[in-house]
Amino acid sequence: MKKIKILTIILAVILVAMVAFLGIYTKTQNRMENKIEGYSYAMDIKGARTVTLKVSDGTKTVIKDSEGKEVNDAENLTDEELAEKGYTKEENTYNPEEVLTIENYKKTKEIIEERLKKLNIQNYIVRLNETTGDITIELEENDDTDYIVSNLQTTGKFEIIDTETKEVLMNNDDIKLANVMYSNNSNSSTSTTNSGTSVYLNIEFNKEGSKKLEEITKTYVKVEDKTSDDTSEDADEEDDGIEGKIEEEVDAEPETESEDKDATEKTITMKVDDEDIVTTSFEEPIEIGKLQLTVGQATTDTKTLKDYVQQASNMATALDVENMPVKYEIGENEYVASDITTKELHEIKYAFAVVVLIAAGILCIRFKTKGIISGIAYIGLFAILMLLIRYTNVVLAIDGLFGIALVLILEYIFINKILGKMKTLNVKEAVKESYKEFFIRIIPIAIAVITFCFIKWIPISSFGMVMFWGISLIAIYNFAIFQNLLRIKTENK
Amino acid sequence: MKKIDNKKKIMLIISAAILLAGIIVIATLGFNFDLRYQETKRVELFLDKQFEVSDIKQITNEVLDNSPVVIQKVEEFEDTVAITAKDITEEQKNNLVTKINEKYGTELSADTTEITVVPHTRGRDLVKPYIMPLLIATLIIVVYMLIRYYKVGALTVLLATIIGVDFTQALLFSIIAITRIPVGRLTMPMIIVIYLLTLVVLTNVFENKLEKIKLTEKKNK
Repeated sequence: MKKIKILTIILAVILVAMVAFLGIYTKTQNRMENKIEGYSYAMDIKGARTVTLKVSDGTKTVIKDSEGKEVNDAENLTDEELAEKGYTKEENTYNPEEVLTIENYKKTKEIIEERLKKLNIQNYIVRLNETTGDITIELEENDDTDYIVSNLQTTGKFEIIDTETKEVLMNNDDIKLANVMYSNNSNSSTSTTNSGTSVYLNIEFNKEGSKKLEEITKTYVKVEDKTSDDTSEDADEEDDGIEGKIEEEVDAEPETESEDKDATEKTITMKVDDEDIVTTSFEEPIEIGKLQLTVGQATTDTKTLKDYVQQASNMATALDVENMPVKYEIGENEYVASDITTKELHEIKYAFAVVVLIAAGILCIRFKTKGIISGIAYIGLFAILMLLIRYTNVVLAIDGLFGIALVLILEYIFINKILGKMKTLNVKEAVKESYKEFFIRIIPIAIAVITFCFIKWIPISSFGMVMFWGISLIAIYNFAIFQNLLRIKTENK
Repeated sequence: MKKIDNKKKIMLIISAAILLAGIIVIATLGFNFDLRYQETKRVELFLDKQFEVSDIKQITNEVLDNSPVVIQKVEEFEDTVAITAKDITEEQKNNLVTKINEKYGTELSADTTEITVVPHTRGRDLVKPYIMPLLIATLIIVVYMLIRYYKVGALTVLLATIIGVDFTQALLFSIIAITRIPVGRLTMPMIIVIYLLTLVVLTNVFENKLEKIKLTEKKNK
């Protein structure tokens, strides 16, 4: 009976080991598919999106009137028409010579790193070529990578200008923070129907900026008898998103301008990266120092909502962090696989397996029959750990592989401790003493590991999570399985 | 006892010598960074077919005189190869293109193939993400040690923990610098493992001291 018990447990362990290392294959659509979840790898093992930002040498056409003020919507005019109106055309480089310094390149690199942190990117490498100013960024490849890449080349230049005179009224220096907010909309106050969630870009201004905003909202006042094309600072009334608003304003401006002429309404234009975001005036003064712009429309569709959130997050990040002193363009943007090939990855797995087998072999040699049971239990722990890592979605980085190695070392030490104590004590006491001694001594490791689990940097959290599951498994597995095996074995005598 | 003290002295002298040598090497030569973190030159070649990294390695060994290279597959279809080396001259680029054309039947042109410069990664950028987590963990661990081993002596525990951890890390960095082991993506995980094992050793020492103190207290009672 006891032999059957031992055999059953050992066979169960071997089965789990086989499932973990070999998998379970079923036929799906004329091919064999492994039903066991695969590993999630970090970019150092899998590969990364490599983006090269090159210092822009492009130019922008600026049309100025006879007073030297910039004129919008004159790009389509011919040279004759420009001359007729007394306009001049200038080609200005995005990056004047004085801006192209090593200090500015380094500052841009820091800003990019800051943006990546704010976008919650948990693994990246940023390299700067100090000679050319080019910046190479490596990012994890996932669904959000394209959004992140689109954010990287925006300088984040924010301006509120007088629509007519082009006077800059506010800029980045006035911003305290920018973030994304949401609200759930109901069709009416009495209705329980949800018309969707709205996403807002919330811009908070600092003390100086709040005063300026208040002044602006008192100066640029909405004149009465306005058409529905006019917008207000009340975000709930704005139906179209930031991109929609540009389209709306392109259509609306002629009417607005004509109305301005008729009703002398002054409007401001909010610009990000020299692109018009919204042109508006204000119904009431804003004294709270905040502006909220709707992004997109209220929606119940998760994917659309996620897109709006991404847009708003990108904008918020660009505004929240200092604006880049140098304008960049995206050069290369490609996925580069890791130099650790699939073959090498298999070799690493085989290496682990060989080390585990050798350790099991050493246990067998040192402790004879108890060693054989210990060896099988040791292999079982390794197998369960690998399954746990797969099913708990632990992202495996190279640091995580070191974590696996450390778990195997700790388990080996623990098994040796138990078997050593069994020379003088019975199983129960040996296990109890070993647990007490071992886990007290690894408390600092446990503290470090739990700290690492919460760190938003994939290599560190990978190590932390692997160690967390490993230590938990050592505690539970040895109590539930290994102890019982030894107990049955010694009682068998 | 004298033998043990002599052994300790010898160990300390050797450690001090390694530390000193390490400081000199770091100050003069710096660390030896892995190819992936150095400033390198890169060439990308579109093969329009699947390939084996080992085959490309044979070609690069021939053309680049067995110098260290990093070979990576590019894009989803893995039909482009990126070859990164410390230096790739125009002549070597031309030879690479010729050999790739011979091997894979492609018609790549050396004129349209660019050598791009891949900037280096600063050592501090490698280490920066690990500093705060290690500091936070160390702080919590020190507080734990002070509470658990207060009978051993707060100052002893504090100094031993801080000095022990810092000393082993400094020794490790010195050994890495002296032996010119490439600093790369294995370095930081190795440092974390050594850090954790140091803590285990320290805890073991304190536990043994605590047990002796408890035994002495029991005897005195």
